[in-house]
Amino acid sequence: MIRIERRLTESRWLVAAVPAGSLVAAAILSGLILLVTGHDPVATWSRLLDRGFFAPGAMSATLVTATPLLLTGLAAAAAFRMQTWNIGAEGQLYLGAVGASGIGIALRDQSPFLVIPAMILAGIVTGAAWAAIPGVLRAYTRTNEIITSLMLNYVAGLLMSYLIFDSHSYWRDLSTFTARVFPQGKYLPDAASWPNFPLGGIAIPLGFVLGMIAAAVLWVIYTATRFGFEARVIGDSRAAAHYAGIRTRRKIVAVMALSGALAGIGGASEIGDFRHVLDPRGLQQASFGYAGIVVAALARLNPFAVIVVAILLGGLSNAGFSLQGATFPAGLVGTLQGLILFCALAGELLVHYRIRFARRAGAAPPAPVPARAEIA
Amino acid sequence: MRGITKRFPGVLANDQVDFEALPGEVHALLGENGAGKSTLSNILTGLYRPDEGEMLLYGKPATFHAPRDAIDAGVGMVHQHFRLAASFTVAENLVLGHRDAADRGLLLEPRVVEGRIAELSRRYRMPVNPRARIWQLSVGEQQRVEILKVLYRGARILILDEPTSQLTPQEADDLFQTLRLMAAEQRTIIFISHKLEEVMAVSNRVTVLRRGKVIGTVMTGDTNTRELARMMVGRDVVFTQKKQGPAQAERQVALELRQVSATGDLGTPALHNVNLTVHAGEIVGVAGVAGNGQHELAEVVTGMRRRTSGQVIVTGRPARGSNPLEAIRRGIAYVPDDRLGTGVAPSLSVAENLVLKAFRRPPISTQGFLHPRRIRANAVELMRRFNIAASSPQTPARQLSGGNIQKVLLARELSSHPRVLVACSPTSGLDVGATDTVRGLLLEAARDGVGILLISEDLDEILALADRIAVLYGGRITGIVERQHAEVEQLGLMMAGAATK
Amino acid sequence: MINNTILVVIAASAISYGTPLLFAALGELLAERSGVLNLGVEGMMLIGAVSGFWAVQTVGGPGWVVLLAAVVVAALAAAATSLIHAVLTISLRASQIVSGLALTIFAGASGLSSYIGHVASLGGKPARHEFDAINVLGLQDTPVIGPILFHQNALTYVSWVLVVLTLLYLYRTRPGLHLRAVGESPATADAMGVNVTAYRYVHVMIGGALAGIGGAFFSLAITPGWLDGMTSGAGWIAIALVIFAFWRPELALVGAYLFGAFSSLAFTLQARQVHLPPEVFASLPYLMTVIVLVLVSTGWARQRLGAPASLGVPYVREER
Repeated sequence: MIRIERRLTESRWLVAAVPAGSLVAAAILSGLILLVTGHDPVATWSRLLDRGFFAPGAMSATLVTATPLLLTGLAAAAAFRMQTWNIGAEGQLYLGAVGASGIGIALRDQSPFLVIPAMILAGIVTGAAWAAIPGVLRAYTRTNEIITSLMLNYVAGLLMSYLIFDSHSYWRDLSTFTARVFPQGKYLPDAASWPNFPLGGIAIPLGFVLGMIAAAVLWVIYTATRFGFEARVIGDSRAAAHYAGIRTRRKIVAVMALSGALAGIGGASEIGDFRHVLDPRGLQQASFGYAGIVVAALARLNPFAVIVVAILLGGLSNAGFSLQGATFPAGLVGTLQGLILFCALAGELLVHYRIRFARRAGAAPPAPVPARAEIA
Repeated sequence: MRGITKRFPGVLANDQVDFEALPGEVHALLGENGAGKSTLSNILTGLYRPDEGEMLLYGKPATFHAPRDAIDAGVGMVHQHFRLAASFTVAENLVLGHRDAADRGLLLEPRVVEGRIAELSRRYRMPVNPRARIWQLSVGEQQRVEILKVLYRGARILILDEPTSQLTPQEADDLFQTLRLMAAEQRTIIFISHKLEEVMAVSNRVTVLRRGKVIGTVMTGDTNTRELARMMVGRDVVFTQKKQGPAQAERQVALELRQVSATGDLGTPALHNVNLTVHAGEIVGVAGVAGNGQHELAEVVTGMRRRTSGQVIVTGRPARGSNPLEAIRRGIAYVPDDRLGTGVAPSLSVAENLVLKAFRRPPISTQGFLHPRRIRANAVELMRRFNIAASSPQTPARQLSGGNIQKVLLARELSSHPRVLVACSPTSGLDVGATDTVRGLLLEAARDGVGILLISEDLDEILALADRIAVLYGGRITGIVERQHAEVEQLGLMMAGAATK
Repeated sequence: MINNTILVVIAASAISYGTPLLFAALGELLAERSGVLNLGVEGMMLIGAVSGFWAVQTVGGPGWVVLLAAVVVAALAAAATSLIHAVLTISLRASQIVSGLALTIFAGASGLSSYIGHVASLGGKPARHEFDAINVLGLQDTPVIGPILFHQNALTYVSWVLVVLTLLYLYRTRPGLHLRAVGESPATADAMGVNVTAYRYVHVMIGGALAGIGGAFFSLAITPGWLDGMTSGAGWIAIALVIFAFWRPELALVGAYLFGAFSSLAFTLQARQVHLPPEVFASLPYLMTVIVLVLVSTGWARQRLGAPASLGVPYVREER
């Protein structure tokens, strides 16, 4: 029989080995799905890896995809650390994109040194504000934040659609006849294009740099500040936090806003680094917000690990988008992400518990002497 | 039971235990907390499986893979923490999981069940209303339901784990009557306890466990409390006792409650116009049966629960609002009964738990940033001063033993130099050594001038430590007596609601 | 005629839109009653929708046989999906929240359901069979109640039976009592010889099966066909519904039709040329979910009576 015991200490090497093992296990499982549905798993996988990481220019493209994943991953990690389940990074990212593109259009004649910081700030403010809604509802009306933050994702998506497809909004391009018939957003001026930093043949987008800075800041917040200490106490035990005089409600709102701000930067970077236009369909298809949850969980909520995982999953997503077609069905990326997460969750058991294979207790060897001691 | 061995990670809970009990006897299983009594009984009821050893029932080997097997074999357990579903009725709790000819069917038959409950409760003089919901019942009534549940299943062997821990002395006497009634019917009663007097009062034989091993089995008639205590602890024990009361008149008032009322978690009134005074250096014990407002009283004083009316006054100044931070700043320290979960954050390290309240102030933090080195130094210092056994300050609190968790709590609370300390069941679940240490720390704090409100269901503890004893019943103080004048009988009556002048 | 007035039309279609919510909510209710929160409802519904539609396109025979087979296939596929969650959370003690989210990502709009849809090229094809409204006892033209009560499709009537069965099961039968005990106090149930693990597995999978049927209702009745993410959040609304209903089947019925009304309002008003942007109507169900949830979470319902006490907590017997 199998017995599961809690480990007294976490095994250090398992902490690193489990996520790596999860990726391998998920690769095998997805290979099986491919095989069953008549695709060659080895070929598919080698194409994925090639397109994601090794082909010329692949790494630069991967970093562009990894940027929003990094930021939504950090957004999820920031909230989950406190056991506050912000599932709304998706919508907060949309809002960040709306805010950043709006500012970008408004400041069209200004210098990049003004426009770009303004876009980042707009992403932070709109993302944080959108996330504050479920935060306030959780803190002051005890409403389940999982459901409210998720419902607001749909609302945010519809808001974007409204701005571009069903209104004559500020974001919509109405300058040409085609644009009026086939609705699309206004393109941002060149000054609103974010720069990237070349490093050994790979272009590192500004958003990714911001993400790395955000990871470092998040790490400092959670390890070295009063704010982070309070958040960790709340995350561990709400009762202990109340006991220690920590004002839980304010903290919930603050952490939700922090989480939303990070997702909002992700949205701003999608505009500044990549799309340069508010593109509701493209953003919704990418579903970076949900993928961020996978990133955070796989990174075990460690901000620095989020960077690594975001690059890995960014590569897969990037390859998935570019390969999509008859031979490479859509949906594979989500399936793969889900599988990775399942394996990581199963692997988590190994980190916290020791599994022993023991004989059934009943099959103990018979006592040599007839037992005298007995019950009743 | 023969050669029973059970290991848990890091603990050998039962080591080659041999144990027998006969029909018609009340057999006490005596040992201090952590001696392995509960583990043994959990093996006996199929909840745990032994790593080694075997069990025989009426001479035949028995193997329990699950609780169901034990139930089918006629072994029933009355747990210390009742295994009752609070939102269910008495009848629903009784038929839970039960399968015999009478009610094996798919549908529930409340009438039949209620009839059988009525019959059982008449026979063993344990009145209960089958339709009442568990949460509406008093602790004593809930225990009756637990016992009825076991009888309803036709158990021939009944195991009772610390059954008197939450009863008034009178209720305990009633229970002993019922147990004798059942033994007279040739049932086997295994009575688990760490209280010597009640073991002497109710049992025929006693088996003593210490650190997972059987020390010996003796006839109750051939022994006395002193011998049993020595067997149980391995040395002569003399608990720390309060020597003498402080001269009250000279002391200033540390804590005063004036007409305090509050509601419980379900919004029902839990405290009514409570008036209470604790002087500096005085220990005031609050006795009572669980669920009579003790929890709410502690929370109101420490700001964790809103009061609906009245005043909480610390050293002459009334509290403005009711929030924990204000209480902390006013010098009210608190040792809650839920140690792991409220008193400490279980996954955080010992060092972090030791600054759970002080983290806001210099030197632990300045300008919003923590100082890890000072947190560590603080931990090293407190671990030394309070003798906290942890492998390092970085160890997560949940890995500590109950006694060490309690020391972490007391170290943190007492090192903040409080004016008032509210301590709830500070020694429940601790072994003898830790109990003694904790009591010593409380007495020392009182000597240093801290006013202590000691809230406990353990009357012995209150009698050992308190200068004055208040009794709480139904959210009201039914009486306050000086310890020198306190009698157990009288306190018991007050705990059951009889008011005194 | 009165049966064409806007209120009657909305009420009739509220029941239609509410039916998949009702199926999914009843399933989630049973799973949560056993103490397991499954946030993967949306994913399971999509698996049900795609596999049900696949069955309708593949299985031969008379219409009712095909549709029956499709419902069974949808239920089985979604139950199999829920098994992943059951293994992870019940046996492997993973976080129910993260596992449920993983299930939705795995099976959801850009996951396995979409993959299956593409591999079997189901997108954009008309359904070979679909659930039509039945004229029950010829009463469909009865004023007001006719279109509302006697002109729905077979699955809607099945859902009504299911509500009654669930009620009886929970409060009148022994397994129902055991289920409630498992969710309320697993340690008690275990000590009484109830197999906690088995009860949790079974009810999580029943939950999955019902979510699958709910999903199939989308692809076989509401908008026959297959479209990536066609349930558009219904699974999440169903989870909110369980909270709204205080974990009681009869209130889940009321709630499902209330939320169904929000959806139907959107379509009906739009069809009646009410000039507001379509997004305003489309966001109505989501916004109303938030608002209703806030109302339920505050005020008189503060105590959240009815929430299974052990919801979300893994049960581990041999640990200390």
